[in-house]
Amino acid sequence: MSKDLNDHICNEKLFEKLFKTHGKNLHDFLYYKFGSHLNPQDKVQEAFIKLWENCKKVTPSKAKSFLFTVANNLMLNEVAHQKVVLKHQEIKPKHATNETPQFILEENEYMEKLQKAISNLTEAQRIAFLLNRVEGKKHKEIAELLDISTKAVEKRIYGALKQLRKEIDGI
Amino acid sequence: MEEKLLKKWLQDDLSPEELLEFQALDGYKSLMKLNEGLKKFKAPEFDEPIVFEEISKTISDKAQVNKKINWLKPVLRTAALLAISFSVYYFTTNSDTHISTLSAEKTTIELPDHSVVSLNALTEISYNKRSWNKNRSLTLDGEAYFKVEKGSKFKVETPTGTITVLGTQFLVKNRNDIFEVVCYEGSVKVETDISTEILKPKERFLILGNKFVITKKEDAKEPAWIHNQSQFYSLPYKYVLEELERQYQVSIDTKNIDTTVLFTGHFVHNNLDLALKAITLPLNLDYSKEDSLIVLYAK
Repeated sequence: MSKDLNDHICNEKLFEKLFKTHGKNLHDFLYYKFGSHLNPQDKVQEAFIKLWENCKKVTPSKAKSFLFTVANNLMLNEVAHQKVVLKHQEIKPKHATNETPQFILEENEYMEKLQKAISNLTEAQRIAFLLNRVEGKKHKEIAELLDISTKAVEKRIYGALKQLRKEIDGI
Repeated sequence: MEEKLLKKWLQDDLSPEELLEFQALDGYKSLMKLNEGLKKFKAPEFDEPIVFEEISKTISDKAQVNKKINWLKPVLRTAALLAISFSVYYFTTNSDTHISTLSAEKTTIELPDHSVVSLNALTEISYNKRSWNKNRSLTLDGEAYFKVEKGSKFKVETPTGTITVLGTQFLVKNRNDIFEVVCYEGSVKVETDISTEILKPKERFLILGNKFVITKKEDAKEPAWIHNQSQFYSLPYKYVLEELERQYQVSIDTKNIDTTVLFTGHFVHNNLDLALKAITLPLNLDYSKEDSLIVLYAK
């Protein structure tokens, strides 16, 4: 294994670059894994500050796993294995709506069902599935992010879809 | 078939023909509804610039705090190191050196100027190593034999008196109420409250209680105890017993015995029975021994 000894992240330019590459991914990962109530944005911030404090010890190639591990641990310290609940954005009632109240009611019911189904997914499934469906990430990107194979990503995503459909549509 | 299509759809990898097939699937409508519903679970916007600004601010704050502490730590460390080394230096050079012997123990030490001091049992001397070359002076409590190198004035201070020499061999014995100085070579000046004398070789200065005696009997070249013997010339018996107690770490009980009678003779330091016989037979006494307690009685 090659060691990039002289190359450390104490350089501000490099640090900013790392933030741009990993910041949002880390945030999304934390959000889909732990939900919103633990404030993933704060954890991202803390993880990057920790990275800066340890900038002499962490090589750029190790930075990603350092960030993810630190942020994950920060979360785990807080989470007492609470059920993950993702908030869905409220459906804004349109002013001039031709949708019947019944339609809106059904729509809300559907969203609640979906919410419940998502929280019933396993953690691994949920992260991969939502990164793919919501953030529109390619399998390959997700595989890199989670340090797993694309095959495993595919399996998780498909498994998640299957379970959601089973719960919601009974297919 | 359906699974394959679904997987391809998930990967966004459907060809136009496959897309048509996919759209013809039974669950297509509900799948689209599900897909739309999922979009609403999007993670809240991650405000990159603001977060990064906050990180930068925290980092620079911390760096400032660190900088403030940074100079304080080495200074404190250096100060502590200096304080420790100074006190070590002070204690090793300025404090007096103490040397003492226990009962039944003898030792010989060399002073910084190569003068040699032999200490008899239960004796303590102390001197200052650092100022030794300027001021050859030591305090003595007990009995010691000195072989002094030639040089500046050499002073031995005892509670009873002070002995001053220029380079010689002499013995000083300073026990309870005995003060004895024997000169073996050169000349020795003895100063006490009672009298001041200059001793020539083989002269002996002795204060017993408050009586002052000077004798010329000493023939030996060195004190007898250097050779593990104790020698006495017309000395009250109780001092002989005290010396025996020191040499053998025993206590002696003298029942109805006149301990003021004068005794001349010697005893050895390495054989208690022999030593006891040597001091009891001439006075027609007998002894019984039990552990470290010895009882003397008249025959």
